Amino acid sequence: MNILQLTFAILKPHIVKHPIALEEIRNIILTSNFKIVRSKRKTIAMREAEEFYAEHRDKFFFNRLVTFMTSGPSDLLILAKENAIVDWRRLMGPTKAYKALFEAPDSIRGRFGLSDTRNATHGSDSEESARREIGVFFPDFDIDKWYREQEPLFRNDKVIFCKELFIHQPTT
Amino acid sequence: MMKQFKKAFTNLSTNSNNVRCLSKRIRKYPVDPQQTETLPIFQYRVSKQGYRRVFAWGNLETGALGVRYTENKHNTDIMRSLKFPRRLTFGEQFEVTTAACGFGYTLFGINSNTNVKLYGAGINTDSQIGYHEVRENKPLGILFRPQPIPLPFINPNKSKILKLAAGRAHSIVLTSEGIFTFGNNSYGQCGRNIISDEDYIMSNYIQHITNLDGKNIVDIECGQDHSLALTEDGSVYSCGWGADGQTGLSHCNNIAQFTKVGGDIENEKIVKLACRSDFVLALNDKGDVFGWGNTEYHQITLPKEDQQVCVPTYIDMLRKFGKIISIGSGGTFCVVVNEHGHVYSWGYGLLGVGPAVQQSKVPLRIPESLFGRNDFQPNNVVQKVVCGLNHAAAITNLGDLFTWEEIGTVALDWA
Repeated sequence: MNILQLTFAILKPHIVKHPIALEEIRNIILTSNFKIVRSKRKTIAMREAEEFYAEHRDKFFFNRLVTFMTSGPSDLLILAKENAIVDWRRLMGPTKAYKALFEAPDSIRGRFGLSDTRNATHGSDSEESARREIGVFFPDFDIDKWYREQEPLFRNDKVIFCKELFIHQPTT
Repeated sequence: MMKQFKKAFTNLSTNSNNVRCLSKRIRKYPVDPQQTETLPIFQYRVSKQGYRRVFAWGNLETGALGVRYTENKHNTDIMRSLKFPRRLTFGEQFEVTTAACGFGYTLFGINSNTNVKLYGAGINTDSQIGYHEVRENKPLGILFRPQPIPLPFINPNKSKILKLAAGRAHSIVLTSEGIFTFGNNSYGQCGRNIISDEDYIMSNYIQHITNLDGKNIVDIECGQDHSLALTEDGSVYSCGWGADGQTGLSHCNNIAQFTKVGGDIENEKIVKLACRSDFVLALNDKGDVFGWGNTEYHQITLPKEDQQVCVPTYIDMLRKFGKIISIGSGGTFCVVVNEHGHVYSWGYGLLGVGPAVQQSKVPLRIPESLFGRNDFQPNNVVQKVVCGLNHAAAITNLGDLFTWEEIGTVALDWA
């Protein structure tokens, strides 16, 4: 089995407030064989959102993106799987939720997206951005240390799933 | 009721020369008129005049319809959606006068003398259907049956619920005592100050706004995260999320108090507002249409290809269709109907003029035959259009309801 890849996912505020959609997306994550390395629920601060979306700073939608992301609690997840980045983005579907409804109606955004901004989930687009995004929200999470110490356990399925915290923990 | 029936019956017998005769054939053994008084009377149940029934269809998973998940106790398959309109028992228990659908929840307004004139069912994680607890400090996140929402009326005997509006997670109730708002206020959409890190699930706070600048409120409308109110003189007030310009206040910031909207509608008498997502349409008394908000799907085509317009703008391309009588604005498209009953739609999505997904900057006319106009019903015209997020509906003067949408998506409406 190949080495696992990490990706960073956000379940956006309107999903966290929708118990049925939240349950369904969590089921999709688990049945697609993702391992949840870290998970926390918090309301994103404006400073964090601006840093997180720094690449979109000059776009017309920047203001609405950051005001939406800071409007309520979100679920922040670090997911691990072979090809995690590509697989998670494929599950999410097209960025624009209004178009995803027609182009990929079975994707997460096609099913739970409400508008192009309220598009249910976020996923990193490359390994560099995953590293940067994890750094913004999990500053004490050391990726290299995780690869050294815990990656083999996750890869060989030596983890147990904790339903309350929605996280996989090494058995040792 | 029995007395009335007997009376009608006696009238009938006197008209036919004292012979009880319900059919045209003459009875072989005529019934003695004196005996009719002693005969048992059977009567079928008849509907009350003005009797309102509530029908619902669409997504069941959030409990918003107040319908059981299982068909009956013999068939325990869980239903995820209702694919056909079904009569709600709730509508038989109470005299439902109005209803509104939000994101995974429904509000019902009923006729009552108490302060409980409002019921809600569905998702309640932002207290958008009031505060309901099972045990102390254990508020309910989802309500699967319509539950009462007491409102702080000043005079519960006289006041009435006039209209309900529901956004993504906030509710507005228009009553004869002004408006009541409750639910999520993270953008100020309830018309009260934003409190950072407010816990909406534990909130039983209801904001009461009696008037705006001394004027009575006559109509309300909710976008997903903003609110609009129309006063008796035809001015529009808005509050809430303005990042796309959907508040129409010439800026893109959140606003926590209802504020008068200017722009092209400043001196117009607006009679109707339509909004379901982030694009607002407004109709004035002369039949002109104005719009503002998110126009990423060309609801308004702007000269510099801008995708947001934060000032109310007159939509000139509708001038050639004459007087518009009804408007609807969905997530990505708009629908209007003019005084001749011609329906036009534009934007992106299923516009109602064919099965394919379309993108159109100019209004397309939907053929009248799709709304049931044919040789047998030549006078059938569309009178009203309504939009959901991804679906649209039209009501004709004969009382027929037509809807169009992507198959598999969910719709909820009331008839």
